[in-house]
Amino acid sequence: MTMHATETDAIRKTVTVPLPVEKAFNLFTAGIDTWWPYESHSIGGEKTESAVFDVEAKRLYEREADGSEHDWADIVAWEPPNRFVLNWRVNPTRPETELEVRFAADGDATRVELEHRGWEKPEERKSYDEGWEVVLGKLVDAT
Amino acid sequence: MDALGDGTRRLILERLRGGPRPVGELAAELPVSRPAVSQHLRVLKEAGLVTERRNGTRRLYRVDTDGLAEVRDYLESFWTDVLAAFEAAAEAEAEKEDE
Repeated sequence: MTMHATETDAIRKTVTVPLPVEKAFNLFTAGIDTWWPYESHSIGGEKTESAVFDVEAKRLYEREADGSEHDWADIVAWEPPNRFVLNWRVNPTRPETELEVRFAADGDATRVELEHRGWEKPEERKSYDEGWEVVLGKLVDAT
Repeated sequence: MDALGDGTRRLILERLRGGPRPVGELAAELPVSRPAVSQHLRVLKEAGLVTERRNGTRRLYRVDTDGLAEVRDYLESFWTDVLAAFEAAAEAEAEKEDE
């Protein structure tokens, strides 16, 4: 569900860091344990030991000391060292929002652009989906 | 009312990102009393960040993604914090390489 996010509603953040693109990408992903503020920004809080970008399983999750895991996101695009896209779960029982992080060379540095989108109102999404169901239903009826 | 201006309330929201939880469970994991957690949950509910649902005798709390503007505010500060931490780590890494 990427096509009908309201662009004006996306969260956008940019930061430029003094590392080449590949190093910046690797620090952000494989090196996440060295910098992500787990204590305040994870589900397990102080119990969270690490976060894992499992590219094979297309999954990003946090792991606690006792081995329990909590999903953060599905990995929907993985293009090192330039970008990745996640379906970020704010509420596991609701549709995901989409998070894209891009890494672009800026001289010797890297500009990191983060965009969190997919903020259309759930009721709009619902009517959109229902609209398609009606259309598809008619197609099925017609065959 | 600044629902997100309080560190404990932000910790509560983080816990709820993993799924609906009862107040007792949240209190057990946070360095504040159960009545304090209830009070924080009330503020989060009034701000449209959290909803409450009865499940038998328990009340479960969850992040309310229908309160989109509020949830966006929460994530706005979430990503600001995360990128600031990343920037600091990247600068430390670059310094290390210069040595």
